[in-house]
Amino acid sequence: MNELFEDFAKARQARNGYELAQTLSPVPPADKPHRLLRVSQSTNSHSVKGDIKHYIKTSVSHRGKLSQDALTGWVEVYAAYWKAIEEILAGEHGQSSWTKVYEAWRDLTSMLVRGYNNFGFEAWTIPSLYMVGKYLRLFAIKADAEPKRRTPAHQGFMLIGDDFDPDAERQSQLRDAEQHLKRIFSLCLTDRAPLEESRKWGIYFVVNLLFKTYFKLGSASMSKTILTSLAAYEQRGDLPPLASFPKSQRVTFRYYQGVLFFLEENYANAEERLTEAWQMCAHGAKENLERILMYLIPCRLLTSHMLPSQQLLAPFPRLQKLFDPLTRYIRQGDLRSFDQELQKGEDEFVRHRIYLTLERGRDVAMRNLLRKVFIAGGFEESADASAPPQRRTRIPLDEFQAAISMGSGAQTTDPDEGLMKGYIARERGMMVLSKKGAFPGTGV
Amino acid sequence: MAADKPTETPAAAEKKPEETKTAKPAALGEDDEFEDFPVEDWPENETEAAAQGESSKHLWEESWDDDDTSDDFSQQLKAELQKVEAGKRK
Repeated sequence: MNELFEDFAKARQARNGYELAQTLSPVPPADKPHRLLRVSQSTNSHSVKGDIKHYIKTSVSHRGKLSQDALTGWVEVYAAYWKAIEEILAGEHGQSSWTKVYEAWRDLTSMLVRGYNNFGFEAWTIPSLYMVGKYLRLFAIKADAEPKRRTPAHQGFMLIGDDFDPDAERQSQLRDAEQHLKRIFSLCLTDRAPLEESRKWGIYFVVNLLFKTYFKLGSASMSKTILTSLAAYEQRGDLPPLASFPKSQRVTFRYYQGVLFFLEENYANAEERLTEAWQMCAHGAKENLERILMYLIPCRLLTSHMLPSQQLLAPFPRLQKLFDPLTRYIRQGDLRSFDQELQKGEDEFVRHRIYLTLERGRDVAMRNLLRKVFIAGGFEESADASAPPQRRTRIPLDEFQAAISMGSGAQTTDPDEGLMKGYIARERGMMVLSKKGAFPGTGV
Repeated sequence: MAADKPTETPAAAEKKPEETKTAKPAALGEDDEFEDFPVEDWPENETEAAAQGESSKHLWEESWDDDDTSDDFSQQLKAELQKVEAGKRK
């Protein structure tokens, strides 16, 4: 165990929070694959606190002082860590459960939070909150996925309880984890220390963990409360600007913010956030880039009627499969193939919550179809030979109807304002299009 | 009750539920969860925007095509319009 506390003392001396966080990892470092085992074997439940106290004092002694309070706090933290490691190692031999691992890790989380509240842990140590918070969520998910042994009393409850909610039951550990993450969130947000030594620097990491948790719980909208609190602090200049945080945190935050706007059908704001996430994302992080595009593509289709190019989709075979045919049919104005393609991908589109947005791409396909009819109509004969040629702007409805019927039985309807300029004169059986820019933004 | 035991390591817990995805239909948007980046931060020149550079102009295209009337669909459309035209002349 003394190597663990050597690392602890070194991290303290360098005031390096990320190195400190490594001493609280439930995963052994690659170059020390047996560290957990050694930590576990170096003490026992009877003398764990005394041993840890001894180790910390010894390793810290020649590297500056540790206050009595801080010592007490860290002893509690590492004692809880030791217990969690015991569960993890027991689990590897089939002698524990994810639920027990989760519970032990939750105790560790509480101890760490207490360290900040009661024992004066310094702000540079916040990456240890990242480490603990990250695994708290992961262990909760594992625990929820594990088959539960039901006690007879529990079954009785299930039979009687009318308001029994199987969903809440299914994710009970993750809901519990959310409570603890919220505590870390407050711990960071409400810190009143000067900015240089503030826990506020931990806020976006924790917010991102909360976003992931809410999305996993199927209650993405709960993220709104978090964003509202953040906005309040931002408004009174009580939060460092997002731009001063590491890019991993900024990209993740913008992604979730973008998806939240997307789900509210606020496509303009969604596009802005997702575009920022895309541009700032690490070039090598292909899977995350793919996730961003999954929402950015439908977004741009609606906001500016832009479609992804081959070049954009090429590095992402999955996106290519989903969007390539669809964008081709939109471009061609081929309604029937568009509908078929949308149906084909329905399950996947619905799962990503982009189906309804993509469906609105049909308007763009329709615009392109009618535009083709318009262009096929050619030019009006003009008395004045010097005047620029004028396209025929009164199109018989029969022609539009024939084009639309190729794809479906739908009737010609009044044009969508943003996509087409004109009106239907039913009594004359004509579609009358604007002489100037009948199809805005498309060159005719 | 072997099934109740966590036989995976915490490192495995970190992995996304790829392996379970095939077993049950994934929950709504499950694979949309953003992955942790291997590093906290990276320089500007390692961002996607920097990697795209000049070519970023070609990532998005207009949603309509003009000249390409050779595809099957355009041919079919032409034929339909001719039919309408022919019907009127009768």
